[in-house]
Amino acid sequence: MQEKDKNEQTSRVDVSQWHAGPGAFAALLVAIIFFSGLLVGIPGMPWLSAFDFTTLAGKFGTINELGKNNFVGVGGIGAKSGFLFALSLIPSVMFALGTIEVLEHYGAIKAAQKLLTPLLQPLLGLPGLTGISLITDLQSTDAGAALTKGLYDDGLISKKELIVMGAWQYSGAGMITNYFMIGSALFNVVTCSLMIPLLLIFIFKFIGAIFVRFVLNTVYKGDFENE
Amino acid sequence: MSNPQMQTTSNNPFDIFVIGARKGFNVAINGLVPNIMMAYVVSEILRILGVMGFLGKIFGPMMTIFGLPGEAVTVVLTSWLSSSAGVGVAANLLSNGVLDGRHVTILMPCFFLMGAQLQYMGRLLGVADVPKKYWPLLMVASILNALSAMLLMNFFFA
Repeated sequence: MQEKDKNEQTSRVDVSQWHAGPGAFAALLVAIIFFSGLLVGIPGMPWLSAFDFTTLAGKFGTINELGKNNFVGVGGIGAKSGFLFALSLIPSVMFALGTIEVLEHYGAIKAAQKLLTPLLQPLLGLPGLTGISLITDLQSTDAGAALTKGLYDDGLISKKELIVMGAWQYSGAGMITNYFMIGSALFNVVTCSLMIPLLLIFIFKFIGAIFVRFVLNTVYKGDFENE
Repeated sequence: MSNPQMQTTSNNPFDIFVIGARKGFNVAINGLVPNIMMAYVVSEILRILGVMGFLGKIFGPMMTIFGLPGEAVTVVLTSWLSSSAGVGVAANLLSNGVLDGRHVTILMPCFFLMGAQLQYMGRLLGVADVPKKYWPLLMVASILNALSAMLLMNFFFA
């Protein structure tokens, strides 16, 4: 109750201090026109309907052939169609992440780290202890970034190593999670093994980081002389 | 992945699966659904305005290197802003018959190799404290990665 009173009070104070510049009135005008439906069916200017709410809200697809179309239907457009399509993806996302969670529990990630560590020194010039940050990045962009910062703050890696790690993490960040979470939307039409794009992403993380390391060693050589 | 407390509560694989599936549900509802809906709306705007067709014509010759129709450039550009929006635009073009399965397969590594770079500047490079001077270099490396991966997909895998 007290909370509510406070909110009301602040909103009252805010209203008296509101300042509405020309931009605010322009925004209001856009809102009125956008929701009004005035822009639909203007002769000679059908493109104006691209700024109309009802047009962009679109329509659901229809199930034309029973037993062939699923609930997403065919011929849907705009927000409604996008919503139904996105809903149809949820089961595979849940299933993929559930499976990954179980495999992770049984140590799949630790095994990956074991395999990755010997590659780091020869390919990227990084010490083995960076393996855990890099592996973490495959699953979570944010957690990987935090671990990398920790290594640098503790003085365990140099600035150049930090940049090379950044390059490895930046391209294809959160690879596994993103691939199965977002990419799964399109899995049903992919014409090759689902592992091939994922493997390519993984390989290119190395290629990109090697490229960055090369540039740092040549173009930006002067920056790292006293390291 | 981000909640160690929840993971340690049970060793039962079914419980662990459910934890992961729940994460998937949350991410799908909060991330995938709004992003894909937005991508569909933006694609619809671009289609009505004729931008899609225009980009298709301009970038057509360039995209043929990757075995893609010109319109696919919108997918590539959107991916740079957000992976899920890129996937959404691709799904939209797929349902309109502009892209087919082979095209989507070629685009698959691109969504992630150069995906969501704008967002990850803050979430990754900013958090890890990578000096700003080198951000453009990392960005170029990512884009080169994505383009090279699409070439390989086109020639060997798709």
